[in-house]
Amino acid sequence: MKELRDLTRKLLADGDAGVVIGWEEGRRGARPAFITTPDDADKLIFDARCVHNLANYLNPRKPQVKALGKPAVVVKGCDAKAVAGLLREAQLTRDRVILIGVRCGGVVQTPEMPAELTEATVATRCYGCDVREPKLVDHLVGDARPEPPVTAALDRRIAELDALSPRERWQFWTSQLAKCTRCHACRQACPLCHCERCITDKTQPQWIESSSHLRGNFAWHLTRAQHLAGRCVGCGECERACPVGIPLSLINRKLQLVVKDLFDYTVTDDPEVPAPIGAYAVDDKQEFIE
Amino acid sequence: MAATDTPMKPDGFHPRITAFVCNWCTYTGADLAGTSRLQMASNVRIIRLPCTGRIDHMFIVKAFERGADGVIVSGCHPADCHYTAGNYHARRRFGVFRELMDFMGIDPQRVTFSWVSASEGAKWKDVVNETVARVAELGPFDAYHELAGDTVTGGEPAPGPFEAASGAETPDPLEELEVGR
Amino acid sequence: MSAATGTALFLSDENLGNLVAEIIAAGRRLVAPARDPQAAVGGSADYRYISSAAELAFGDSLPRMSLKGFFLPQSEVLFKWHRKGADVEIEAVPTEFPPQIVLGARPCDTAALEIVDQVMDWGLRDELWFGRRNATTIFNLSCPVEDASCFCHAVDLNPDATRAADGMLTPVPGGYLVESCTEKGAALVEGHKALFESGDTGAAAERSAAAAQYRAAARAKVAADLQIDTTRIKEWVGDHFDDEFWTALGPRCNGCAACASVCPTCHCFDIVDEPEGVGHGARRRNWDTCQTGVFTLHASGHNPRADQNSRFRQRVNHKFFIYPSRFGEVLCTGCGRCSRVCPEGQDLAEVLACIDELARA
Ligand code: SF4
Ligand code: SF4
Ligand code: SF4
Ligand code: SF4
Ligand code: SF4
Repeated sequence: MKELRDLTRKLLADGDAGVVIGWEEGRRGARPAFITTPDDADKLIFDARCVHNLANYLNPRKPQVKALGKPAVVVKGCDAKAVAGLLREAQLTRDRVILIGVRCGGVVQTPEMPAELTEATVATRCYGCDVREPKLVDHLVGDARPEPPVTAALDRRIAELDALSPRERWQFWTSQLAKCTRCHACRQACPLCHCERCITDKTQPQWIESSSHLRGNFAWHLTRAQHLAGRCVGCGECERACPVGIPLSLINRKLQLVVKDLFDYTVTDDPEVPAPIGAYAVDDKQEFIE
Repeated sequence: MAATDTPMKPDGFHPRITAFVCNWCTYTGADLAGTSRLQMASNVRIIRLPCTGRIDHMFIVKAFERGADGVIVSGCHPADCHYTAGNYHARRRFGVFRELMDFMGIDPQRVTFSWVSASEGAKWKDVVNETVARVAELGPFDAYHELAGDTVTGGEPAPGPFEAASGAETPDPLEELEVGR
Repeated sequence: MSAATGTALFLSDENLGNLVAEIIAAGRRLVAPARDPQAAVGGSADYRYISSAAELAFGDSLPRMSLKGFFLPQSEVLFKWHRKGADVEIEAVPTEFPPQIVLGARPCDTAALEIVDQVMDWGLRDELWFGRRNATTIFNLSCPVEDASCFCHAVDLNPDATRAADGMLTPVPGGYLVESCTEKGAALVEGHKALFESGDTGAAAERSAAAAQYRAAARAKVAADLQIDTTRIKEWVGDHFDDEFWTALGPRCNGCAACASVCPTCHCFDIVDEPEGVGHGARRRNWDTCQTGVFTLHASGHNPRADQNSRFRQRVNHKFFIYPSRFGEVLCTGCGRCSRVCPEGQDLAEVLACIDELARA
């Protein structure tokens, strides 16, 4: 912690960064912090409750963050993958951001939970994590932490759904999507949903109805999922933001598995590796084409 | 385009199929099928686009929303794309989208993806007839068409799309609209 | 606010189940906090239409969404149109609704309805809103107070308020003490008279004491937290539109609008025309909120609220300055839902405390 705070003080005092984005203690657990003066550096914390993917604040749809000056962002390895996504898609250039990597031992599901990691509390995104020591960084702080008690619960649930008939899956998803209010919190919380004007906000033509009936909701969820295919880093922020508890991680994870199967692609923190949608190989699988 | 008897179920269900095809290969191939007077089902409405690379997954969604029971997406064979790589990009996207539909419970059998070149009029005929027969077997896609209905969402109970009456002949929307004919 | 009137009756846990069964058997729609039987993960309670007493989840935490969806649905048809030749035929929607009963509403959710009534009857009477309001009988559940994000006491309510309610249930050992405070409420009790035990049995005094104790404990619990003065806040907010306070608050907010979705008093809507096919369609209204960018986006592309700082400021302004200026009371019942749901830890109670502090200085 001292390392992080000292670095923050230095970055701000030397004028290298206009704001350091990390985590602080809020009334309901950990929350994002925007440190703009060296005096506030001691507010910063990092522990297993720091679940937020702060890469979201680098997303160009956040003018209020841009106004604070050059950002230095504290990133876990998975957050760094989202930063890589923004770099890959030319939403950010490497010289416009300072990345402070933190060695991570896993996070819990919500920032309000106690910081104890057990199979019941660990976030699904920690399953199969290969970046507990982030590589896409300018500074790396903190001690190495033990591996979290990961769980494959999400993959098991997907296997269960896959085993159902299309009609049963349809019934499952209609019952889930019927709850959706179309607030689009899932989009706002997503670091990779960076479109200046999201397709669902467009009305001429209106591809996706804004009404929260099932027809509009299916169009929205099919589109959101398709747009994130091969780009989603699996941070689960969309699901956490959803006020009605729609299990979006099932869809995101399913598509991660599909992309892995079809294109042998796993989302990476290397911005030079192209995303699978937008690239192609002449010998891609095409069994589904007649 | 010459039409034969539509393959249909005994109850007289005529599936409505929307085809999104590329201008250079499949549209020309379909044209050839027509000028060659090949016999095929008349249930398919063709929408011509410059390239399969221009065909977005939302076209499929919109077709289902507006009453299609099945969809065909077809373009140039690999290496034949008029724009070099549009079909390769489409292949990636639809490879993913097909799995996504399946996961959400939309039977992927309702959507045919095919490569039909300008000279393959006979293949187009087969694609059409097979798709129509397969979708006729699956029945009308009321589950999707009735998603919105008169629903009010929020406090009101969620609609059960499978409870809705099915099998009824849906009127052709173009017949309802007398304006501009 | 007004305490419940009418003699307190006792409804045993068992008879609560019977009441639910009788209401449903009579063909009336019943809303109550209940678990989603299909929820993928645990699932907190929500207000739902229920079909059996087994679904009731009175003891659960505060329902995630407020009651407002039962009066202002997320999406509802305003009218339908059909093109008939060169003419357009308009099909109206009914503005009379079948009776429905809400059991176990939290006082902050019920009170919100009466606050929102003011804007719904401002110049033009919203028939759909009032149609549903009139058709509904609401019995509150005297609230145990959820957590430190609750601040109903700071906005002229309290955990046993009966504002806009037709009656109230207060948990006591073995069941609930039931008071009705309107004719609608009394009629509901009257209709199921056999289930209620009258107030003159020996146990009645004990039960009243238990109920009083329960309420006093809840009041003490909520009052322990936030001490603010909404009049002071209103003045400060009105005078400090350009204060840098807002710039410091805004960056955390990602504009997800979850706060407005769950809020019982946020009531803004968007109106859209949606074709259902060729030649017919529906005009709908859908929930909308000032927390999103498109809410204020002009056709020209200009957006007067260009960033989240100004959008969050708008939310606080509307609730604590604009609404009280126009209607004489704040547009907030202190339910704390916005703070609980916010994925980024924005906390309205904390914001209000800061403003109060600034206003005092
Ligand atoms: S879609 Fe969800 S899980 Fe994927 S990157 Fe976006 S917020 Fe994270
Ligand atoms: S859903 Fe698609 S269009 Fe909308 S912001 Fe996300 S990526 Fe962009
Ligand atoms: S956050 Fe949840 S309710 Fe809101 S649009 Fe996304 S899925 Fe729907
Ligand atoms: S603003 Fe927040 S505390 Fe106030 S009524 Fe709305 S959700 Fe509840
Ligand atoms: S819930 Fe939080 S992040 Fe979302 S719009 Fe409201 S204040 Fe902003």
